[in-house]
Parts: sequence; structure tokens; C-alpha cells
Amino acid sequence: MIQGPSVDWIAIAPEVALIVGAFGLLLLATFARAYERGLSIVVGLGALAVSVAFSVAAWGNAPVVTMADAFRVDDLTELVRITVAIMAALVILLSVGWARFREHGSEFTALLLLVCAGMGVVAGSTSFVTLFVGLELFSLSLYVLCAFDGKSRASLEAGFKYLVLGTIGSIVLVYGAAFLYGATGSFMYGGVAASLAEGGSHDSIVTLGTALVLIGLLFKVGAMPFHMWVPDVYEGAPTQVTGFMAGATKLVAFVALARIVLEALPAVEHLWSPVLIIAAVVTIIGGNIAALVQTNVKRMIAWSSVGAAGYALIGIIVNGSDGLRGLVFYLAAYAFTAMGAFAVIAVFERDQVREKGYATLDGMRGWGFSRPFAAMAMVVFLLAFAGFPPTAGFIGKFVVSGTAVTHGYAYLAIIGAIGSVIGLGYYLRVILSMYDRSRKSDVGLPASPGLGGATLVILICLAVVLLGGIVPGILLDWSGQASAFLAVVK
Amino acid sequence: MITVSWLIALPAIAAIVLLLLPLGQKIAGYLALLVSLAVAGAVIGFIYRYEPLGGLQFGDNIAWINPLGVRWHVALNGVSLAMVAVTALVTCCAIGYGMWARRERSHASFALLLLTEAFLIIVFTAQDLVVFYIGFEGMLIPLLVLLAAWGGKGRKAAMVQVIAYTAMGTLLMLLAIAWLGFTAPGGPNFDMVAAIGRGNDWVFAAFAFALAIKSPLFPFHGWVLPAYRESSAEVAAVLSGVASKAGGFAFLAILVPLFPEQSAKYAWVFITLGAIGFLYGAFLAFRQPDGRGVVAYSSIAQMSFIILGIFLLNDRGATGATFQMVNHALVSAALFLLAGWLETQAGSGSFKHLGGLARSRPVLATTALILGMAALAVPGSSVFASEFLILLGAYENYWWLGAIITLGIVLAAMYMLRWVSAVLHEREGDFVGTHNPPDLHRGALLCIVPLALCLLGLSIAPAQFTDRVNATTTAMINAAAKEAGR
Repeated sequence: MIQGPSVDWIAIAPEVALIVGAFGLLLLATFARAYERGLSIVVGLGALAVSVAFSVAAWGNAPVVTMADAFRVDDLTELVRITVAIMAALVILLSVGWARFREHGSEFTALLLLVCAGMGVVAGSTSFVTLFVGLELFSLSLYVLCAFDGKSRASLEAGFKYLVLGTIGSIVLVYGAAFLYGATGSFMYGGVAASLAEGGSHDSIVTLGTALVLIGLLFKVGAMPFHMWVPDVYEGAPTQVTGFMAGATKLVAFVALARIVLEALPAVEHLWSPVLIIAAVVTIIGGNIAALVQTNVKRMIAWSSVGAAGYALIGIIVNGSDGLRGLVFYLAAYAFTAMGAFAVIAVFERDQVREKGYATLDGMRGWGFSRPFAAMAMVVFLLAFAGFPPTAGFIGKFVVSGTAVTHGYAYLAIIGAIGSVIGLGYYLRVILSMYDRSRKSDVGLPASPGLGGATLVILICLAVVLLGGIVPGILLDWSGQASAFLAVVK
Repeated sequence: MITVSWLIALPAIAAIVLLLLPLGQKIAGYLALLVSLAVAGAVIGFIYRYEPLGGLQFGDNIAWINPLGVRWHVALNGVSLAMVAVTALVTCCAIGYGMWARRERSHASFALLLLTEAFLIIVFTAQDLVVFYIGFEGMLIPLLVLLAAWGGKGRKAAMVQVIAYTAMGTLLMLLAIAWLGFTAPGGPNFDMVAAIGRGNDWVFAAFAFALAIKSPLFPFHGWVLPAYRESSAEVAAVLSGVASKAGGFAFLAILVPLFPEQSAKYAWVFITLGAIGFLYGAFLAFRQPDGRGVVAYSSIAQMSFIILGIFLLNDRGATGATFQMVNHALVSAALFLLAGWLETQAGSGSFKHLGGLARSRPVLATTALILGMAALAVPGSSVFASEFLILLGAYENYWWLGAIITLGIVLAAMYMLRWVSAVLHEREGDFVGTHNPPDLHRGALLCIVPLALCLLGLSIAPAQFTDRVNATTTAMINAAAKEAGR
């Protein structure tokens, strides 16, 4: 009989809760079709709450390593699990009034729970094998979620594009991992690091493996020049899924990237550091310039999220405890900002059903006067994207660029500053369009069904973004505590 | 006990209330005016209680962002008190003018003006670099929205220029601040006192760049003319009157005390640019075809002059520069309001269409003449007092610099006289005939009179002002003056 690895069930309880919730929901829904929507909301939110409760309970505990040392539960894992679960809960709240959700709520929710489970696995993986399992679990479910709006061609296209390009990214990553295995004889991050530190004779294979792994990961974080899927997928996917991708997927992909380069590849920093620096520069400048010419707001924010990925890369490049704290804070703050912004866009799209729901700059003209609360919240989110005080975005920008300046990467911080100036240009375009007095859109729009959920989402995100800017101490402490578990090279 | 934080919180909270509640034009206007008057009243109280030799006063210093070592530290010294007072006054007048002009969606415009006031008071009172930065960058947003939403035809291009210049400058300053704070001995510390003398040339340059753009100092003034021309009158008054002073103030209160070595080493750069800007702005002001152009270029000239005064690094120069900042704030705010009034009443601000307005319009003629005389520094006026102080300071260092400045002062008289005569006298312009503008009457007059009265008061008793700020300005330039060997 084959002896399986010992499993610490408490450590993986958050994932177990999500998977049980997903399959339980599918099973229950077959018996109670009539109550599908309510059931999805209750079971979905319930599973997420249980998962978060397990994570919160384990917060601050000593790290636990389980599954034959291939999965580590430390505070970084917990932080990602909690953030992702909150993001998923916001997605469910945003979906309440959505027609597709009424028909296929159980599938949508089940897939969402599986995405969260996969993301938790990725966040805690300490081996390329676990990483790949988690990555595929969440990616495959996410492909379907992107294509979930079956009646919309754009959504189907987004799902298909994401499937094809995302799979290529995964394949490249696996291929790179195989090379690294060939050179070092280990899939474990620790094993790879130890073998590389000793120095072997397989330099060319290590180089190739590192390059392929980096390409695969840059694909996943959406950094240039491997960003081409981002604008199309973000634009086409159902808006709440876009918000989830901009927030949660980015966070998870960056944590995976940070863990790999810092825990598996510290010995070859001379290989990955220049690559990441170039990627960061190109991404910040390219993403922001491309965003400048967009007329579709969803697409614009997609491009700006490409630029944000470049900014987050600085945190990894700087690679001291300050940089990593900045990285985690920046990404967590970004998640709520992006989710809030896309929630506002979702509200706008519901107002514009007749115009096919496209959130164009032109279509948004004067909209701020008919939905004052949503528009004002959008202003805050956009200013947070641009890094203005008093929002969490400012603190994120300040910490990341501050650590870059103090650790000898002032040029990266200056590039970041240039990117921010460009960013301000297009964020202001959205604000001006919403408050354009030349066109008064239909003041007093009818209350669309399900707007309560969206309002709640916007309120939650607004609170986090503003509190993160006004009293950021607690969030910074949490980020510091979580990022402390990333091995620091310098 | 009322502290400075109240002065910041009150307009900020009022702004949020005004933004969120869809109040009517009148109620919103009176609420905003009341709040701005309350702030001004509190400032008057501070002026009475201020001890010139008492150092920082009426302040708060509480832990804020512990992991980053940022503290909410705001307090008043002599120079901040002067700037806060003038900010409060100009904001009252700007809101009053906005009420008179009946702006569309006025509750939002009043809210943004109050928000600008809050951020400006943060700038003038911050004793922590991050807090200072929050004010410095934060004020950009309400001002940009005011410009973009209520501006003139060319507002989009003006906005792009403002963003390109000022945002770039402030972001570089943020990097400099981060460097100063994070490298502080004993963990991150952003208190200004902790940063004294620790900066290097690069950090100094980043600060100077941001402040030079904001002020504006020649040759970083590219954004100024479009911004001042396309804004509505009250916004232009706030921009040129007080927002630009954020730059001049920070040169004196932050750059010079924090970087004494570099300030002494590079003082010649600022003196040279200041002198060039003073003459250049004056020449261009003389050639402008409209009232706003004259005031805009004269603002560039005056701010260059003020920065020159600061970098003389002696008592007279620094006190004169502070005094001149206050005077110029009052003069340019009043002139922009008057120019805006002329545009609405006569249909144009261009000198081609104006002229001969003095006839049967005694109030307008008197007001314009008083402001014109104040601006051209007639002996006895407060502007004369401040310019004379800077002039004395310049002679103290280099006689030839004094000679150049004197030339600039003469030019100032020329362009202001040209403005007065082009508006009030000469042949009656075609727009004056067709529109037949009324005399300056209650509403608009009430917004301009307080500014003019303050100028008169300062003219009568300039020592009241200089006595209060002298100790502070001396302390600010002391270290740099020692470095420069004065």
C-alpha cells in the first residue's frame, strides 16, 4: 500500500471548508432549484465565513508545514486567504441582482469557492507541484467565471482568451519548473534553493528554468510584455469577476512570484533581478500610456492595473522587509480599490442596459449627477489608484517608493512617479466625464433590483480604502507581520 | 482649547457635508460662508494670543501612523500664522464672490474651496513632512476639479499643464521626503526637526524643484498663465493669492531651515532665477492684452521676487519676503476678483474692449485705483514697506542686486499704471458702450473691500506685522545664514 503524506487537517481547514461548501451547494441546488439564488448566497457566504474564521483563528500562530512539507500555513498564507475570501464575498453580493446569477447561481458560487480554495493553495505552496495544482484549480474555475455571461460574446471571448493565454502561461511555468528540477533534483523551494546555493554545473539549465518560471509568473501577474490577455479579459468578463481578478488574482500571483524568487531562487538573484527591473519599468510606463488613450472605462482600469503590477514589482525587487511590507500593503489596498471601482462600473452598467452596458467615457457623461453616491465613491477609488492622500493608495505608493529610494533604487521610484503623473491624467478624465455639466443624464434613475448589494460592496470598499489612508497603522502592521514570512535575501 | 487642527477639521468636515447633501444654492453658500468666517474668526483669536517669541503655538502633536513614524504634528509660528490668516481671509472672499457670481452646482464649488482651504492650512502649519506633503499634494485635487469643472474654454489644456508640472514636482518631493524620513537615525521619523541638516544635494534639488513649480519661480512658470486665465475668478484668486504661497512659504519655512548647507551653497541659483523672473514677469505683464494676463505675470514676477528675498539669507530679506507674500496674496486675490467682475459685467477682460470705465462709476474707480496703487508699491503702502525691506536686504549683500531689483520695482509701476489707465481711462472701449457695465455694487464690492481694508491696515501699521513674524523668520534662516557667512 502506498503511504500518503500526513495531513494537518486544521491547517488546511479553510480550503476544505470552501471545497465542501462548493460541492455541497451543487448537490443541494439539484434538490431545490426554486431556491437556487437564496441557497447560493447563504451557502456561498457561509462557506467563505467559515473559511475566514479558520484563517483568523490561526492568525499569528507559528507557521505549520504539512502535506510532505509542500504546503506552508503562515501569516502570509492567512492574509491571502482572508483577503481572497472577502473579495469572493463581495463578488457574491455584487451578483445578487444579476440575471445569470438567478438562473445559475449555484454553479457560479461553487466555481467562485473553488477559485478561493485554489488561491489559498497557491499562497501557501512551498513546492512547484503544489503551486501548479493550486494554480490550475483556480485558473480553470476562473476561465469559466470569465465566460459565465453566456449571452455576451465579449464574455465568451474573454473566457476563451484567458483559457488559451493562461494555459500557455501555466505550461511555460511548468516547463521552467521541470528544468529547475532537472538541475537541482527537487521540486521543493527549499530544496531548489539549497542546491543552487551549493552551486552546480548546470548553469545553462538553471538559467533556462529560471527564465521560463519568471515568464510564466509574469504572465499570471499581468506584467508587460506578457500582459496582452489583461485588457481583453478584464473588459469582457462579467464586471464583478473583473473586480475579483484585479484584486484577488493579482495578490495571489504576486505572492507566488515573491515566494518563488525569494525562497527558491535567492542564489540566482543576478538572473531574476534585472528581468524584474526591466519588466517593472516597461510595465509602469507602458501600462499607463496605454490607459491614457482608452475610452472604455473598464479597459482603462485594466490597463492601469497592468501599470499597478509594475509598481508592485518594485516591492519584490527592493526585497528587504520594508519592500515586502509595502508590496503586501499595496496589493491588499489595491484589491479593495479595484473591487470598489468595478462595483461602481457594475452599477453604471445596470443603468445603461439599453446601451449594451458599455462603460464608455462618453456614456458616463453627467452620470455623477444621477448617482451621486456611486460617483463620489468612484472619485475616491480613482484617487486611490492615483495614490492621492488621504486614501490607502497614497500609503501604498509612499511605502513602496520610499523603500525603493532608501535601498538604492531611486530610478525605479522616479519611473513610478512618472507613471503616477500619467495616471492622474486618465483618472481625471473619468472624473470630469462623470461630472460633465454639458449633458445631464436622466436624473433620478429608477432603483434597479439588486442595487443594495452593490451599495454594500461600495461602502465596504470605501471604508477600507479611506481607513487604510487615514489610520493605516493597523493594516501596515498586519502587512509587516505577513510579509515577515517571506525569506529576505539581503 | 481650540488648536490648529480645528482650523483644518472644520472646513474639511463642512466640505464633506456640502458635497454629500444636495443643498440649495443659497443655503450651501451661506453655510460655506459661515464656516469660512468661523475659521477666520478663530484665526483672529490666534493672532491676539500669539506670542512672537513663544516658538510653535496652538499645536497638536499626536502619534498617527506608528509603523512609519508619522505624527500628526501641526502648529503655528509667526510665518504660518500670517499665511493661515491670509488663507482664511481670501477663502471668505472667494466664497462670497462665488455666491455673488451664482456658479452652477455651487454647493460642490464651495465644498471644493473649503477643501482647498483645509489642505492649505495643513501646508502652512505642518511640522511633519508627511503631513506637509498630504496638504501640498492634496490641494491639487480640489483646485484641478474647480479649474476643470467651472473653468473657461481652454480649461482642458490648462489642466493638462497643471498636472504635468505640479504633479511631477510633488511626486519627486515625495521621494525626497521618504528618503529623509526612512533614513532617520533610530527608525523612521518624519518630524521636520529630525530632518535638519541630513539632506544631500539631490534631496534638496527634489524639494526645490517641487516648490519652484508651485510658487512659480522662473523658468517653471509654464502652467501658471493658462491656469490663472481659465479658472473662474474666485479660483484664480485662491490660486494666485494663497495656493502659490504654499511654494514660497515652504522655501522659507522648510527648505532653508532643513537644508542650511545646500541653501547657502545654492542661494545664488535662486537669487539669479528670482532676479530674472522678476524682470521677465514685469516685462511680460506690461505687454499683456488683458487684465488677467497682467495679474498673472505680475504674480510670477512677485513670487520670483519673494524667493529672491528668502535666499538673501538675512533678516530683512526673509521678513520682507514674508510680508510681501501676505501683501501679494491680498493684492492679487483682489485684482483677480475685480478682473473677473469686469469680465462678467463688461463681457470681456481684454483691454481692446475696455477703457473709460472711471466715468460715472466712482466706486469702481476708487477700488481699482487703491488696488493699483497698492500693487505698484506707492510709498506708504504696505507693499512698499515689504519691497523696501527686501531691497535693503539685497543692498546688504550685493549693491548691484539692489540696482536690478529697483529696476523691477519701476517696471511694476509701469504695468500697474498701464492696467489702471487701460481699464479706467483712455477712450471708452466698444464693450463698455454695448454692455454699459454698472458701477461696482454691493455683492462683488463686499468681497473685494475686506482685502483692500487689510492692505490699508498693514500700510498704516506695518510694524504690527513685522514684529510678530520677525523672530520666526530669523530662526528659520539662522543656520543657513551662518553657513553663508552672514
